[in-house]
Amino acid sequence: MAGCVEGDLASLTGLLTAAGLSNASSIGEFMCSKFADVSSSLSTHTLAVDNIYLLFSTYLVFSMQIGFAMLCAGSVRAKNTMNIMMTNVLDAAAGGISFYLFGFGFAFGRSQTNNGFIGSNFFGLHKMPNETNGFDFSFFLFQWAFAIAAAGITSGSIAERTQFVAYLVYSSFLTGFVYPIVAHWMWSIDGWLGAAAVTNRLFGVGAIDFAGSGVVHMVGGIAGLWGAYIEGPRIGRFGSKGQPGMDMRGHNASLVVLGSFLLWFGWFGFNPGSYVKIVVPYAGSAFEGNWTGVGRTGVTTTLAGCTAALTTLFGRRWMTGHWNVLDVCNGLLGGFAAITAGCAVVEPWAAIICGFGAAWVLMGFNHLAPKFKYDDPLEAAQLHGGCGAWGLLFTGLFAREKYVFEAYGPDRGHGLFMGGGGRLLAAQLIEILVVIGWVTATMVPCFYLLDRYKLLRISPEDEMAGMDLTSHGGTAYSNEDPILLPPLSVRAGQNFAKADSVNASREGSRNNREMQEAI
Amino acid sequence: MASSCVENEEGFLIDLLLTGGLSSASAVQVGEFLCSKLGGVSNRFSSHTLAIDNVYLLFSTYLVFSMQIGFAMLCAGSVRAKNTMNIMMTNVLDAAAGGISFYLFGFGFAFGRSEHNNSFIGSNFFSLHNIPDRSNGFDYSFFLFQWSFAIAAAGITSGSIAERTQFVAYLVYSSFLTGFVYPIIAHWMWSVDGWLGATGPTRLFGVGAIDFAGSGVVHMVGGIAGLWGAYIEGPRIGKFTRDGSPGMDMKGHNASLVVLGSFLLWFGWFGFNPGSFVKILVPYDGSDFEGNWTGVARTGVTTTLAGCAAALTTLFARRYYTGHWNVVDVCNGLLGGFAAITAGCSVVDPWAALLCGFGAAWVLMGFNYMADVFKYDDPLQAAQLHGGCGAWGLLFTGLFANEKYVLEAYGPGRGHGYLLGGGGNLLAAQLVSILVIFLWVTVTMVPCFWFLNKNDLLRIDTDDELAGMDLTCHGGPAYYNDDQPYHSYAEYLDQKYEKTRGRRHGGDQLA
Repeated sequence: MAGCVEGDLASLTGLLTAAGLSNASSIGEFMCSKFADVSSSLSTHTLAVDNIYLLFSTYLVFSMQIGFAMLCAGSVRAKNTMNIMMTNVLDAAAGGISFYLFGFGFAFGRSQTNNGFIGSNFFGLHKMPNETNGFDFSFFLFQWAFAIAAAGITSGSIAERTQFVAYLVYSSFLTGFVYPIVAHWMWSIDGWLGAAAVTNRLFGVGAIDFAGSGVVHMVGGIAGLWGAYIEGPRIGRFGSKGQPGMDMRGHNASLVVLGSFLLWFGWFGFNPGSYVKIVVPYAGSAFEGNWTGVGRTGVTTTLAGCTAALTTLFGRRWMTGHWNVLDVCNGLLGGFAAITAGCAVVEPWAAIICGFGAAWVLMGFNHLAPKFKYDDPLEAAQLHGGCGAWGLLFTGLFAREKYVFEAYGPDRGHGLFMGGGGRLLAAQLIEILVVIGWVTATMVPCFYLLDRYKLLRISPEDEMAGMDLTSHGGTAYSNEDPILLPPLSVRAGQNFAKADSVNASREGSRNNREMQEAI
Repeated sequence: MASSCVENEEGFLIDLLLTGGLSSASAVQVGEFLCSKLGGVSNRFSSHTLAIDNVYLLFSTYLVFSMQIGFAMLCAGSVRAKNTMNIMMTNVLDAAAGGISFYLFGFGFAFGRSEHNNSFIGSNFFSLHNIPDRSNGFDYSFFLFQWSFAIAAAGITSGSIAERTQFVAYLVYSSFLTGFVYPIIAHWMWSVDGWLGATGPTRLFGVGAIDFAGSGVVHMVGGIAGLWGAYIEGPRIGKFTRDGSPGMDMKGHNASLVVLGSFLLWFGWFGFNPGSFVKILVPYDGSDFEGNWTGVARTGVTTTLAGCAAALTTLFARRYYTGHWNVVDVCNGLLGGFAAITAGCSVVDPWAALLCGFGAAWVLMGFNYMADVFKYDDPLQAAQLHGGCGAWGLLFTGLFANEKYVLEAYGPGRGHGYLLGGGGNLLAAQLVSILVIFLWVTVTMVPCFWFLNKNDLLRIDTDDELAGMDLTCHGGPAYYNDDQPYHSYAEYLDQKYEKTRGRRHGGDQLA
């Protein structure tokens, strides 16, 4: 503290008196007022720097929405592109309204009646900014960017066969209620599950899900799992009597790679950004602080993704004989989804193990999915659900004591393999179970009701024709040259040609010749 | 708040020490030592402040620049495939030619200050002469930030006149717009010498108009310029028919690019609106928790909510009118909401932003309806969206600006919203700014386009338009997908097997 706190003024005055000064209290007060100025300038600087850090992390997380949109668009068939992109735009837009009205309040609201299950304040940003809890508008915006990611994951699982109305219903429900409750359990200081809680942490330690392998990825993935299971696979995906079904590849690999890279870009906001504050020096060091943890989190995130990508590359080459960039991109994302829980509390070498495991988890679930005739156009349940769960488990095994202390404070748990005993691991397993349990208990009735009232799945005719044509006003791509559609263009062209006849006659013949050569 | 010894504080401290019983020599020594240490602390603080504010401004600039990527992709996806190269070329050149002209003239016209300041046009800092300028607080980062705004305006116009304009015309109007038309408005609104804005000491109606990030200065300027350009050169061939039968739909060729571009614009808008605070390390009086960082983040929230509300309004309204859930319309609605909130983003409450977005969606749909009635053809709806929603945003700010937020963003003695008890001064200033922007752009850009048209430099000829400009002016089509000899790996293996078998039998069946 740079200002005079508690007895500082008295002890300074005492020192000056002992030195023989007669007006020690005036001198002491002058000096303390100067120190107070220094202190308040410092806290202003700290607030500005922390808010810049949080805001730019938020913008990076938002760019994951662009990534999701492009990944989804490229991974579906061309006839459903408009549909899937619409869901991505609306995840952000409808999510913005519902998270403003309810979501943030359910997740982080604090009032006299705090409880471990659900938040109860700050609805519609009422009473924000809130100095007591340190919540400024930047924190809301950051949490919004997280909330909309969860709904985006689910829309991938049920792509290409779901009615748009069903999407609107489950998406508002997920962003406005299901997700915020889990976020409250895990990340609010009132939550019963997470290591962020001040008192009464689960098993005395609390589960560690730093940036949301469970809260975001498993929630989105498990919701997608039930949605896709209840409505069944796309027509033609699996043959009826055990015959192999259609391949149903995505229509644009360039968009898939663009989307994956944008997600990687955005993950640098997602994981390191989850520190929220960066101006926090570590005790006992004049060089390290949260900036060190933030930087290390960027490193673990990168290494986990890289390892998962390489593991997938060689794993799939061995199994299929091809070097498949789509598989590698999915492996990469699986590595990111897995490291997200432990990104701040594991060593870089452990991140490599995390990514290696994530790749096999993803390939394993992808192997199982066809056996159960489970069809997920974006592998979202396998990737975000499966690798997310692996990430939580991994954190229970490899979390390092020092990093946990720096990120969460004293008396939290660390990994079983790092000498921390089983309590953190137990808390992690509980988190996996309750996330599955909660999402199942809320989303299965939701999808079941939609299905029962014939609001979930589109008709077979619409599915064969493609939803862009039947629900979204036309196809996404139109490359036909209007010059091949004579009646209208010729008629209008003649009209126009009169007005511009001089120009046309002067240049027309030359242009025609060049065009013919070019063609 | 000064941590150093200011004014006579050093003397005051020395007197205290003298009175306390120190000899005069030691009192001076001790007093000077303590004050020099406090002075050192204070210097460190000002360098930190400069570094933090510049980091904030620079990264906001980079975000605003990413809006050019967004524009390029949005434009590319919204035109027909045969004109893709042409429209992307204009987007690249907005940034590139705009960089040169804003360096040479634009910044000086907009923000130049010298002994002969005037409220109409700036007069210094051409070619970054005398920059960095300490007295005005202009560092290079400020130039770069303003450049990224200037190139946005020209990009808007190129959308309106897409698919039928000669490239030469584009070069002419674009330099004129970025180098002269836009900087003048920016000077009126944003320079401390300007006659129109709330920034300077002499303010219109005593309050000055509020256009925080440029609903008028950027969006209306670009949109109105596009309106006249598209009006003067007429619709694309086939868009409307003479006998009143419906014309061709002329939808864009790639919806994925449209969505990519819209999302990138959203991303960049987080630099455009919150970044317009320019400085972030400014604490608010009477609070040890809030400062410009609070205003910056609230601006991010209002921006987001306005876009979200506009997108949802468009979604359901268009579903009602057309029976379809159309993602391209929703993206345009979203952008309309952003263009509208840009004027008032820092001075309105989050709940008001929802109203702003709701209104913007209807303004856009209304103008789109009227465009068809008047046979006005704008491939990107740029005039309707940036012109219409930009004007609505200025009006909205006059109605809903919150007194506290205006004080924090602009200082005392400015106006606040008519509906929030601020009286009509601000609203009147907002209406005047809508009018003068419309008039200024009209009197400069109409002669420009008229002159180009008169000399046959504006519109391409009929053959070129039907064939597509990529082929006739830009070296060939943008897409080439025909060089994939096999459709599947299995087909390739079959052929390969045939070939080897053929060789074995002494023939070449594949030839």
